[in-house]
Amino acid sequence: MDRFLSIFFQLSLILILAFIALPILVVFAASVSPTATITFDPSQWTLRWFAALTASRWLDPFLLSLKLAAVVTVLSGLLGLLAAYVVAYRKCPGHEAIMALLVSPLAVPQIVKGVAIVLFLSSAGFYALLGTPGLIMAHIVLTLPFVVRMIAGAMYNFDKRLDQAARILGATSFQRIRFILLPIIKPGLFSGMTFAFILSFNNIPLSVFLVRPGETTLPITVINHMEYSLDPVLAAVNVASLAFILAAILLFERIGGFSAQIHGGSK
Amino acid sequence: MSSIETLSALRQPTHLPVRLSRYFPLAPPLIVLMIAFAIPMGMMIGLSFHDADTGILTLDNYVRFFGDDLMLAGLWRTALMSGLVALCVTVMAYPVAYYLARSTSRWRVVVFALAITPELAGVVLRTYGWLVILEDHGAINNLLTWSGLISEPLPLSKNLIGVVIGLTHVVLPFGILSLLTSIQGIDPNLERAAQILGSSRVSIIRHIILPLSVPGIVSSLLIAFTMAASAYATPALLGGAGFKVIATMVYEQVLFYIDWPFAAVMAVILLVMMLTIAFIGARVEARLHRKLHI
Amino acid sequence: MNSNDIEMVSVTKTFGSNLVVNNIDLAIPTGEFVSILGPSGCGKTTTLNMIAGFAQPSSGEIRIRGKSQRGVPPEKRGIGMVFQNYALFPHMTIAENVGFGLKMKKRPAGETRDAVQNALRRVHLDGFENRYPKELSGGQQQRTALARAIAPEPSLLLLDEPLSNLDLKLREAMRVELKDIQEQLAMTFVYVTHDQDEAMAMSDRIVVMQDGVIAQTGRPAEIYEHPRSSFVADFIGKSNLLPISDIRQIENDWFVSLGTKGLTLSVFIPDGMSGHDARYCCIRPEAVRLAVTDEGIPPLPNRLEGTLSRIVNLGAYFDCFITLKDGTVLKSLVRSTRLPGLAVNQAVFLSIDPDAVQLLSR
Ligand SMILES: Nc1ncnc2c1ncn2[C@@H]1O[C@H](COP(=O)(O)OP(=O)(O)OP(=O)(O)O)[C@@H](O)[C@H]1O
Ligand SMILES: [Mg+2]
Repeated sequence: MDRFLSIFFQLSLILILAFIALPILVVFAASVSPTATITFDPSQWTLRWFAALTASRWLDPFLLSLKLAAVVTVLSGLLGLLAAYVVAYRKCPGHEAIMALLVSPLAVPQIVKGVAIVLFLSSAGFYALLGTPGLIMAHIVLTLPFVVRMIAGAMYNFDKRLDQAARILGATSFQRIRFILLPIIKPGLFSGMTFAFILSFNNIPLSVFLVRPGETTLPITVINHMEYSLDPVLAAVNVASLAFILAAILLFERIGGFSAQIHGGSK
Repeated sequence: MSSIETLSALRQPTHLPVRLSRYFPLAPPLIVLMIAFAIPMGMMIGLSFHDADTGILTLDNYVRFFGDDLMLAGLWRTALMSGLVALCVTVMAYPVAYYLARSTSRWRVVVFALAITPELAGVVLRTYGWLVILEDHGAINNLLTWSGLISEPLPLSKNLIGVVIGLTHVVLPFGILSLLTSIQGIDPNLERAAQILGSSRVSIIRHIILPLSVPGIVSSLLIAFTMAASAYATPALLGGAGFKVIATMVYEQVLFYIDWPFAAVMAVILLVMMLTIAFIGARVEARLHRKLHI
Repeated sequence: MNSNDIEMVSVTKTFGSNLVVNNIDLAIPTGEFVSILGPSGCGKTTTLNMIAGFAQPSSGEIRIRGKSQRGVPPEKRGIGMVFQNYALFPHMTIAENVGFGLKMKKRPAGETRDAVQNALRRVHLDGFENRYPKELSGGQQQRTALARAIAPEPSLLLLDEPLSNLDLKLREAMRVELKDIQEQLAMTFVYVTHDQDEAMAMSDRIVVMQDGVIAQTGRPAEIYEHPRSSFVADFIGKSNLLPISDIRQIENDWFVSLGTKGLTLSVFIPDGMSGHDARYCCIRPEAVRLAVTDEGIPPLPNRLEGTLSRIVNLGAYFDCFITLKDGTVLKSLVRSTRLPGLAVNQAVFLSIDPDAVQLLSR
């Protein structure tokens, strides 16, 4: 009985993992297959679909998504720092309530937030803000709660005695933030910003309401095409954008060092 | 002595602004959330109570929603789809989470990476993969036709099956994570103790692991249900016109029918649905924790 | 010039309704090594934090180098501090940690480098400049914290139980080093500890605190030999602390009765003083002389007989517990080489010099 169970368990584990890997493998294969028919024979593989990506119909949305994600990442990092500073570092009276307020957008589904913003911009007469400005606004609402949470997490863990030590050595409050607080919470800040970058770069439910002709993000461009055909060039776009995201994560990691153990925590 | 008193008396008035100034850094984030979130949400909720043409305050939009068979069918499809996704995710996540919680093998890292990293790929890539696999001339149907098992392609996309498969794939990592936390919290010594007392693996799972991981199961169900019910891209692509849910219908309402108050009603109903489930879920979880004394 | 580095004038600190420091007056002269000693929770850290500026007195005043510190933030007080858990900056190397104070004062790089070198040499950590705190042992971290505090050359250094996380051997070695540094740099040290050995070994002066008030201040020997209360006697060193049931004067000699069963000791009270308000008497264990025969003890007035009920071997000494005829238990400290053959249940003879019996009114 136990033996049977163990085999059954391992088999189901393998099947589930195969289920997880399957569509991703298919996309990779599709992106290098010479025709729309997928082949798993490496001798036939080609990079011709990737060559098509430099066309402006793919490059422009990519650049927009990149700029959007970059702006959103930087802004939500800055705003998140400010908010977390008051809430988690200074722990000003009412900080728990303020934190709840700051993360409250998480309780609202993205599609609902998207509707709210598009209705607000259209019916209040801010048509001009549809497109990039609206996208930035919406994406910040999406990413800020996560970023605040991650920075606040780092700041809650920040050892206040380090601050006292710096203070008695003559550091002013500005110097303490610059030389002690920021370097120590940097991993938290950068993991928050990385998360924001991925969320923004991949976003669909908010962007779908706010893009305009000529101002369309990469994921929206892809799904618009997907509704008509499963052109292998779409597979190449997807693979390239995944590669780009992985590269971005590595870059953030190099700067922020959030995965490495910092020489942290005095005993 | 009196000079000290004067000093502190002088300091009093400056006291309050000094304390308030500590909150100043909150202004930028709060203003952004105000403009981009609170005001739009308020406006949308307000709009849902107004007549589209006359602008008069009314409940008509809600009445219309609940009297509209198309809408009710959409609501039903949303609930059915989310329920199925919640079940599939939890059933599939459980063995993976259990393995991750208990295994000491070096494959553990590999399994963990396999289970979690697809999240980085984004919804579009995965949906594209499923479409290639599931569509009428996709991998599965081609294989089955070629082998002569079927003559007509099986309807695997543009319907419930396709959407549930796609969403299960999207939500699975979250189910795994929430079950993982729960199972990791169960003392492995309990299992050893039961083993010493002569329990078989089956009865250990039945009498120890399953009961103690009920909170994890509940939170996995909840997270999967809410994520599925508010998902947009996967239903839009794998369900398409053949399987419309509230999220995709809201989108049509905003961009094609341009009926804003009605779109607002749908969004508000979706929101209320989510909040209700989250509320009930929190209550159930709290009760479970009390019952299991954890 | 004022010769006191720190003056505390009726300083009180309350947290809500909790009175933590109660009306303390304390003057610490320049260049002195002062220990604040007391049991856990008596307000030592709070007192130190008020001097450092991390906490504000609820009332009273603190002056440093003659200047009132009201409204002066810690970073402007020009004092150094060593924290109990070291509080080293984990993201900085040892050199960066030690140079931090000078960097904040915007000293030239060359000067900072020299000062860092100097401070590290002083704590025997030269060569460790580029390590991170995580890569050091507890004792090395502790010395880094000390180097960081002395590098900017403050005239005043506060230390909050800086050795409490170290093992005994390291602690004893560090005591010597701390004392050396204090003397070489002619700094004022305010040293908080609840370890009385530490306070005795290093201090010029000890301030004993009890429940937020100062129980006694004085040189270590003074406090040991003349404790002013049973609390101090009990807290500093070992003692036989016995409640007095009666005290009477017969001509020039004073006698105290201890307990109810007629144990009486002759005590010494200088002429013109009265012993009538004495409540307790305190006898240090080393003042209780022990012998195995009647002749072995000096011919002193207080001769007692008893049974050895317990021996604790401390290596060089035996800590002996003697049960007297009336049931009173006295502790005696005996050099182990003097009476190597001591055994439990042995009958022993004791004598106590009347001079060694301290009378305490509290
Ligand atoms: N911020 C605070 N709020 C309320 N009570 C406090 C605060 N800080 C200290 N106390 C209380 O004040 C008393 C003295 O604390 P303090 O830290 O000065 O003790 P201590 O003598 O340093 O003790 P230890 O040897 O354990 O470090 C304690 O009873 C403590 O509970
Ligand atoms: Mg303390």
